[in-house]
Amino acid sequence: MKSRREPSRREGLSRRAFIAGSIASAALTMPSRSRAGDRPFGFGLTPVFLTNDLELLAYLRSFLSARLDCPVELVSRRTYQEITALLVSGQIESAWICGFPYVQYRAVLDLVATPVWQGKPLYQSYLIVAADRVAGDWGALRGDIHAFSDPDSNSGFLVTRTLLAKNRLMPAAFFSRSFFTYGHRNVIRAVASGLAQSGSVDGYVYEVMRETDPELVNQTRIVRRSEWLGFPPIASPKSLAADPRIGALQQALLSMNESPDGQKALQLLRLDGFTPTDPSLFDTIAAEVEVVRQFG
Amino acid sequence: MRLFRLLRSVPITYRVPAIVALLMVVTSAVISERVLDRLSRTQEAFLDSLSETYLDGLEAAVLPAVLREDVWEIFDALERSLSSNSALAPIETVITGLDGRVLAASDPHTIATFSELPSQYLDRYGQGAVMINQTNRTGVAKRDLGYQGQHIGAIHATFDVSQLFAERQELLVALLVTNGVLALALSLGGFLLVQRMIAPMRVLENHMRAAAHGASEPIPPHDIPPGDGEVAGLFRGYNTLVHAERERYNLATRLADEEKMASLGRLASGMAHEINNPLGGLFNALDTLKKHGETPGVRDTSVSLIERGLAGIRDVVEAALATYRPERSRRPMTADDLDDVRLLMKPELRRRRQRLDWNVSCSPRELPVAGGPVRQAALNLLLNASAATPEGGTISLKAENSQALLTIEVGDEGSGIQPEIADILIGADPEPAVLAGRGLGLWMVRRLTDELGGTATIQAKPAGGTVVILALPLERSAQAHAA
Repeated sequence: MKSRREPSRREGLSRRAFIAGSIASAALTMPSRSRAGDRPFGFGLTPVFLTNDLELLAYLRSFLSARLDCPVELVSRRTYQEITALLVSGQIESAWICGFPYVQYRAVLDLVATPVWQGKPLYQSYLIVAADRVAGDWGALRGDIHAFSDPDSNSGFLVTRTLLAKNRLMPAAFFSRSFFTYGHRNVIRAVASGLAQSGSVDGYVYEVMRETDPELVNQTRIVRRSEWLGFPPIASPKSLAADPRIGALQQALLSMNESPDGQKALQLLRLDGFTPTDPSLFDTIAAEVEVVRQFG
Repeated sequence: MRLFRLLRSVPITYRVPAIVALLMVVTSAVISERVLDRLSRTQEAFLDSLSETYLDGLEAAVLPAVLREDVWEIFDALERSLSSNSALAPIETVITGLDGRVLAASDPHTIATFSELPSQYLDRYGQGAVMINQTNRTGVAKRDLGYQGQHIGAIHATFDVSQLFAERQELLVALLVTNGVLALALSLGGFLLVQRMIAPMRVLENHMRAAAHGASEPIPPHDIPPGDGEVAGLFRGYNTLVHAERERYNLATRLADEEKMASLGRLASGMAHEINNPLGGLFNALDTLKKHGETPGVRDTSVSLIERGLAGIRDVVEAALATYRPERSRRPMTADDLDDVRLLMKPELRRRRQRLDWNVSCSPRELPVAGGPVRQAALNLLLNASAATPEGGTISLKAENSQALLTIEVGDEGSGIQPEIADILIGADPEPAVLAGRGLGLWMVRRLTDELGGTATIQAKPAGGTVVILALPLERSAQAHAA
């Protein structure tokens, strides 16, 4: 019963332990994938992303295939967890994941590049409510039916979870009910339609949708903006560090602006480009994880 | 019944269109009822089928999510199902879970997630797949959700069925307008057709009316429709009738004239006899005068005899002239007219050695009725009475008048009048007997009586014999005379 499940650190940890175990066993049992061109380059896309925009996927696939000089398979799944598991287990070569899973699995993951939005590789998490609702601050959301994006989403879950933990509150106690929509756009739809009274949503997705779907976004308003956090990065398994395609991917992303397909993809994503970042960019998220862990 | 009588009183020109319109109204009412009923059933079957399809699709989409109580997935499926069902027009769909609480509604603002399902949702369903609410024009349907034989929730759907009612309304209006126009067109067509059909009848009617007033004219050939054999046949038949009538009339008139001449001949011979009788005495008187004229006593007596003889001859001649001079027949009647009749009857009475019982108590002044026809009628009746009475018998004439009526009764001692002969006087149609050449004298009486606007009756006398009574109106005769 996910809507009633209290998202907890313990559960997150057990899942992480399970995935780490899977990786270990995969590393032991599977022969290392060596040569490029054996199979398509798997590139995972988490639902952190806007939508399954076919036009964007076409540009992205075209761009990556050209730059990696091999077929690229774009892999989408409903939840973050599924993509993270595929990545961490080495079933895909790279993925655009959220900062939260990266922090959880940074021991086995390398950062390839981080998107730059509005000049910085940073974004925020928003708490949103219906546009006509009177709510001064996040405290007014007590007793709400709350829509989270994904249990492995930083902006769509962890930030709010941390906020409550800092205030010695558990989501199940603060909200009357909560459920996951597995997509930031869905959080906005849930709040706009009245299915949920408030929601935790990715600030970047919210701002981009304010341009692309103002009718929907204007039915909501922001109650709280979080501090600036590391933008969801492109990561790959450490085990593939020697794979030349990972290097080629990094080069492709960093020079995405130089290709027409890359430019179109960036334009659709409203991103400035990609930048190489240090893992320390995600220390703030790691700190949140620690807060939640300590509160229990 | 009243309607039937009312209809019968309406002219056929309007009755036929009215009946056509009435039949059209009844027909269109029956057809409309059947069509609407059929449409209604088809629509409901269609709606049932659509709703089943909708619920099937929705059930397949939400079942796993309901199992997991995944609120978002359920809501997302609802939104997608609403946007993909333009034909069915679902207004609201609510999914409840195992405990009956709302998992998601298509409009969470109305029915909040995790709330209790409003009680009216529980008892709004019936036997059919879709229950239609005529008041708010919605249809409702419920689908229980089960998994592995276990109840896990339900779908409560509400559809907008106003389109169905709008279609029925449109059809009803179309039927009414079409049938109304048809009824109007057929009524108008019926009116024109009947007008056209009875137009020849009107021609015939007008001719018959004119004929009833004595001016029977054949229908002119240009009025006979060339293409309509039935009507043309009818018109020709009417024309044949008119011609036959004219011939009959002419024949009867001719016969009557002949009878008149015959009776005139008899009268003339009687008159000759009447004149001849005194002639012998006159010649004797003349001889006496020639021989003994110088004797004063003889001369005076002879002159007196001659004078009386000539006076008698003059009276007879004057009476005959008065009777048979048409220019004198229109003057008002006086008692002299009846006296003339009496005088004219004398020779016939003498010939048959009959007695005339004379009883006239009319006003001595002029009566406002034409004298000629009265004389003629009285004379004919007396001649008839004389003919019917055996020799040596008695006939009678009684005449009297009131302010408004002149009554003349003529009696005989005959053996009675035969019915067909009596009909000449009193029947509606005197023609058959007249055409047989009988009772021409009585037919003349009938014509004269009709001319004077009077009536004739026949009575049998208790002691044997017959009395013919003419009742002639004075005022009417006076008006006719004045006219």
